[in-house]
Amino acid sequence: MHEYCRGDKRTFADNRGVIVKIGLEIHQRLLTHKLFCNCPSELNDEKEPTLVVRRYLHPVFSELGEIDLAAMAEFEKSRMFEYQAFARSNCLVELDEEPPFPLNIDALKIAIEIALHLNAKIADEIHIMRKIVIDGSNTTGFQRTAVIGFNGYVETSKGRIGIPFIALEEESAGIVEAKEGRVVYRLDRLGIPLVEISTTPDIKDPEHLKEVAEKIGLILRATGKVARGIGTIRQDLNVSVEGGARVEIKGAQELKLLPALIENEVRRQKKLIAVIEEIRKRKGYGVKEGAKIIDVSDILAGTSSSLIKRALENGEVVLGIRLQRHAGILGTELQPGKRYGTELSDYAKQAGVKGIIHSDEDLFKYGFEEDEIESIKKRLSVGEGDAFVLVAAKMNVAEKALANVIERASIERVPEETRRANPDGTTSYLRPLPGRARMYPETDVLPVLVDEKLISEVRKGMGISYESRRESLLTILNKELAEKMLRSKHLKLFEKLVADGVDPVLAAVTIENTLVSLRREGLELRDVDNVLMKVFSEYKKGRFTKAAIPEILRETAMGKQPDLVMAQEGVRKISGEELERIARENNFDIKKIMSKYRIRIEADELMEIIKKSKNLG
Amino acid sequence: MYSKRIEDFLRKNNISVGDRVAISSEKGEFEGLLMPRTAGDEDVLVIKLDNGYNIGIRFSGSKVKLIEKGKPREIETREKGEKGEIAILGCGGTIASKIEYKTGAVYPAITPEELRMTFPDIKKIATIRSRSLFSLFSEDMNATHWKSIAEGVVEEIRDGAKGIVVMHGTDTMGYTAAALSFMLQNLPVPVVLVGAQRSSDRPSSENEMNMLNAVYCAKRDIGEVCVCMHASINDDFCYLHRGTRVRKMHTSRRDAFRSINSPPIAAVDWKNDRFDVLSEYKKRSQYGSLEVKTKINDNVAMIYIHPNIKPKLIESLSDYDGVVLVGTGLGHAPTNPFNDRSVRPVLQAIKNLCDSGIPVVMSSQTISGRLCMRVYTTGRLLVDAGVIGDGMDWLPETAYVKLCWALGQTKDMKKIRELMCTNIAGEISERSQITEV
Repeated sequence: MHEYCRGDKRTFADNRGVIVKIGLEIHQRLLTHKLFCNCPSELNDEKEPTLVVRRYLHPVFSELGEIDLAAMAEFEKSRMFEYQAFARSNCLVELDEEPPFPLNIDALKIAIEIALHLNAKIADEIHIMRKIVIDGSNTTGFQRTAVIGFNGYVETSKGRIGIPFIALEEESAGIVEAKEGRVVYRLDRLGIPLVEISTTPDIKDPEHLKEVAEKIGLILRATGKVARGIGTIRQDLNVSVEGGARVEIKGAQELKLLPALIENEVRRQKKLIAVIEEIRKRKGYGVKEGAKIIDVSDILAGTSSSLIKRALENGEVVLGIRLQRHAGILGTELQPGKRYGTELSDYAKQAGVKGIIHSDEDLFKYGFEEDEIESIKKRLSVGEGDAFVLVAAKMNVAEKALANVIERASIERVPEETRRANPDGTTSYLRPLPGRARMYPETDVLPVLVDEKLISEVRKGMGISYESRRESLLTILNKELAEKMLRSKHLKLFEKLVADGVDPVLAAVTIENTLVSLRREGLELRDVDNVLMKVFSEYKKGRFTKAAIPEILRETAMGKQPDLVMAQEGVRKISGEELERIARENNFDIKKIMSKYRIRIEADELMEIIKKSKNLG
Repeated sequence: MYSKRIEDFLRKNNISVGDRVAISSEKGEFEGLLMPRTAGDEDVLVIKLDNGYNIGIRFSGSKVKLIEKGKPREIETREKGEKGEIAILGCGGTIASKIEYKTGAVYPAITPEELRMTFPDIKKIATIRSRSLFSLFSEDMNATHWKSIAEGVVEEIRDGAKGIVVMHGTDTMGYTAAALSFMLQNLPVPVVLVGAQRSSDRPSSENEMNMLNAVYCAKRDIGEVCVCMHASINDDFCYLHRGTRVRKMHTSRRDAFRSINSPPIAAVDWKNDRFDVLSEYKKRSQYGSLEVKTKINDNVAMIYIHPNIKPKLIESLSDYDGVVLVGTGLGHAPTNPFNDRSVRPVLQAIKNLCDSGIPVVMSSQTISGRLCMRVYTTGRLLVDAGVIGDGMDWLPETAYVKLCWALGQTKDMKKIRELMCTNIAGEISERSQITEV
């Protein structure tokens, strides 16, 4: 959502001297029910939906006669959307069959709290907007979003990073699959409240990006009011490359991926600029005039390529186009494992094909024969220095796919795009960058006045900030444990235990080390909060030793009742007279006693007894 | 509207909605377009920032400066002279509109050109002409509007239209459809009312499918007033309902419109050229046989019978020319046949209305099913008092509209009773069909 600052010097030059601007957008799910209805914000693991609803979306006709470019690109696909609704997670609101409820005030309060932690000013009145998104991921065709705070900032090791806007918005539906002409979405996710935090493009370099993302993430977590776990936080990047274009990279789920995404995007754009230069030099543009879509199915009627054979048997066709003076260009690598041909292919896929076949690939790999290739070249008038592209699909889909390829091949610059982050650090084309003319008021939801009362309610319920929490942790734990605890999802439990008088180091070690090593053994402790509260309360009564705690947790994780585990004779602490007696009986032999009674004895106490006996002796 | 304080300030500084302004407050500096206020606190200024978001900034303590005057919206000249085969008449509702993204304002789309832009596929089905009769929320409409729609339809028929589509708000579309059904008899062309449950300013609006199917139906061989709306919550097909049988049965769902006590006329899907007939319908009549009977009496009341109802309420209806009761069950109201002292019957009050020459018509809250006022004493007592309706399977709303219309046709109580109990436009059926629809 954010605007690039022009003409300033807040940029970073990568090691090859290209000026790059980086901005970050973070989306974080909040721990409260859905934003515009009372459904729980829970993803369910049900496979069978309660109801499947089929819909189409169409762009709304604007007064200005312009339909948003990104919206139009999705419309071109004229896809049918199939929505899977689940009784547990959905109501008529997500199905777009009932108007939205008033804005979830708890979500608003959390968003305001986050904005305050980010040093932002809060809007006096919140206005919900509709942001047109017609890829089907919202049943309404728009995402509801509102600016909550603005003019904030976050301190980092390389200076202050501005946070111009903090928005509260609804999560989209999760995609299940996309087939030709049909996209399937699950609705359990739709409507979960998200906070969107965008930074100014002041980020210095890929490592700094990681730091900013992590810092904001920690601030969010410190509130204790945001969701944790996979998919609950997403990082989108805005990357502008000098001489290239602004690109939005969506959906990076791992922080460690961020530097690679930046590096790859800078490399992609630089190589793309070189490719464009090369095509220009060859006078290869003007593709549109030269490229005619031609049916080559008959040439391949008896092909041994199983891919093509299957397609033809399904009533599909093979269409081809010539790309003049493009030989070798399509094979130029732009990102690791992705070529210029991949860029064309990504556009073709928008029409619903699985991919393209092009002349810079090893065509024998597909099972084509030499004479088939020659006949195709002849049919498409492919001469020396030309390239060609083939697709196999239903006639209308194939035509649209090749039209998209021609469209992309005609762009004589790095296109402004929204791209998807792949798990390997590369990116793929998603859609054109949305224009700015696609927001209008959500008239079904009333604006919310943010008055002093609301703000003071937020302040009252506000957790300790990340900074002060870090400081207080450093006073009771060493740096390593403190940093671990700050990032722990059990931070709240830790604070509760410490408040109950448990030794902070013991609590932290148990939460962070013991549970982790159990996990490594394949044992997952359930109901962690309750179990640990119980175990430590018994420990305080002196029922067992510190060393027994991992044992007790291991047995509990294996499925036993913690109460029964703690009552076992095998963990009961031996101390006082009983320990003295045992020590005597074993001639004060530490090694022997410890190996026999292990976790039941506090070594300190035994040492004390032995010392005493020696003094006496 | 903004508060008087803000309005005065804006006027004094020559600032109007749509202008580019700079606001400086303790929260920071903002620049954007001044938005109109439609809801929320009237002492908060709403501006649209350059990133598209609107935010509210308290006027107190802010400095507002004009940066640039906005350009007023150009009102398009309506295209005239297009004489397409299907006439589309606008009565309001949100089925066709366009958004001004700059301000977020929504305007109705009504010229043929605008309609073709809103519904690009319309040209695959028919050539069109269009005009706006009025633009109202349907809950604001009354008998006067039914009459002017009927007159508009007749004008278009006389001007050669081969079918009529009426764009209408959904709340009272059933009433209008029933009224047109009685006013326009022996129709030579179909009259199809259409609306949208999701407003047209959202990409998910079902307006497009409803409209295209309505135009498709308007080209068929039907000689009735119908309603064309979504059949399910999927975007798959529409039902074409008989005007006297259709009722809005849900506040918000796309498939809110249902045919009651009779199947819809057809299941319709223009894309697949599908018109599956589900019940018999009247074919187009000869052009010359069109009967226009638009006279109507709007001095008719409809009340819902309920526990605790007081005779006073019924007595208060004596100023009306007709009364429709929405009774319980088979067509009942408290009559106290057992003479129980704890009961407060309204029988005498109803009888008094009937005796004074006010037709009292029964219908049922159950919506579905037929009135049968012979089964229990209650019903028999009401029939004896003069209540009209035993054996009818009409909708309360249709009975209401029909009584208004009947009172417009005659003042003779006997004729009114006869007219009411005669099937005119499919509002009464002889057999209660066994269907699942």
